[in-house]
Amino acid sequence: MSPVPLWAAGVCAGLHAAGCREVVYVPDNPLSHVLTELGERYPDVRLVLATREEEAFGIAAGLYLGGRRPAVMLQSSGLGNSLNAIGSLVMPYQIPMLVVVSMRGDAGEWNAAQVPMGRAVRPIFDAFALPHVTVDSAERAADIVRVAAATAFATRIAGACLLPRRLTVAEHEGR
Amino acid sequence: MTRLEATRLVVEAAGDSPIVASLGHPAYDLFGAGDRPQNFYTWGSMGVASSIGLGLALARPDMRVFVIDGDGSLLMNLGSLATIGLLQPPNLSVVIVDNEAYATTGGQATPTAAGADLEAAARAMRLDACTVRVEAELRAALADRRVPRAIVAKVAESAPAAKPPLDCVFIKHRFMAALGNPE
Repeated sequence: MSPVPLWAAGVCAGLHAAGCREVVYVPDNPLSHVLTELGERYPDVRLVLATREEEAFGIAAGLYLGGRRPAVMLQSSGLGNSLNAIGSLVMPYQIPMLVVVSMRGDAGEWNAAQVPMGRAVRPIFDAFALPHVTVDSAERAADIVRVAAATAFATRIAGACLLPRRLTVAEHEGR
Repeated sequence: MTRLEATRLVVEAAGDSPIVASLGHPAYDLFGAGDRPQNFYTWGSMGVASSIGLGLALARPDMRVFVIDGDGSLLMNLGSLATIGLLQPPNLSVVIVDNEAYATTGGQATPTAAGADLEAAARAMRLDACTVRVEAELRAALADRRVPRAIVAKVAESAPAAKPPLDCVFIKHRFMAALGNPE
């Protein structure tokens, strides 16, 4: 098995350092590296599979109400499935969580169907006043994710980390 | 059995345990049946009440968690049953107050009015499930600690007259403090 990419190890280290022990996810190819790393090296992190992204945000909200620090992981396409839960639960109730978005539709995309939603991700987060940061460096991934999560839990406003294909696919393909 | 009567029985069975209510009339009736800090009233996010309850049940295995969902709401998030069935939380009970209508929006019929069977859907996703039609049946189902995790309560609309507090952050703070997880 190939070693875990540096960016994926960084995402795991960052969320763990911020106290996240619950990761609710809908799978995605690049995220598979994160999920594998969490499963193998972070036995204190619980992985919860959701059938749809909106459900994942609901489960994460319940985990937070129960005193946990949740993260949600999804592909950018799944953000479209999540908007009502974010807009009418996560934001107005000020339920913080780390949101990790594996981007499609940006540089390197091969599937035109992924482009419109991918391009809408940042404007949508801006419209919800949900802070987001792009993880543009594998070396800095742990720090970026840790700070985004810590800020979210301190301010009670969910925070998103976007993983662009330039980050996830190049290493994924071993280039 | 009206939805308010069914909701009163859930509150009675819950004791100090948390109850998560779906938006609209289920939340209004929970407020009418008995406002308490352990009530989490949703004002939006139609469909995800059972998901919130699942997350809470996972976070707090020491507590029994109740969800009051509507038939229309659950139909919006049927995948939630698959996730609950996958995880088998021993402390989660989802009560579906099934009035066979979107009552909050004017009473349009839901598919359960034509026979869509939410008990069967729950069973198919590996939940214990039952359907109850009168108060005695619901009381017995709620008392069953083997947790029939999905209780479909066939109810008549009860036209709630009062609404819970509108301040979402207040609802959250009060709820979390009551559960011993103050922010």
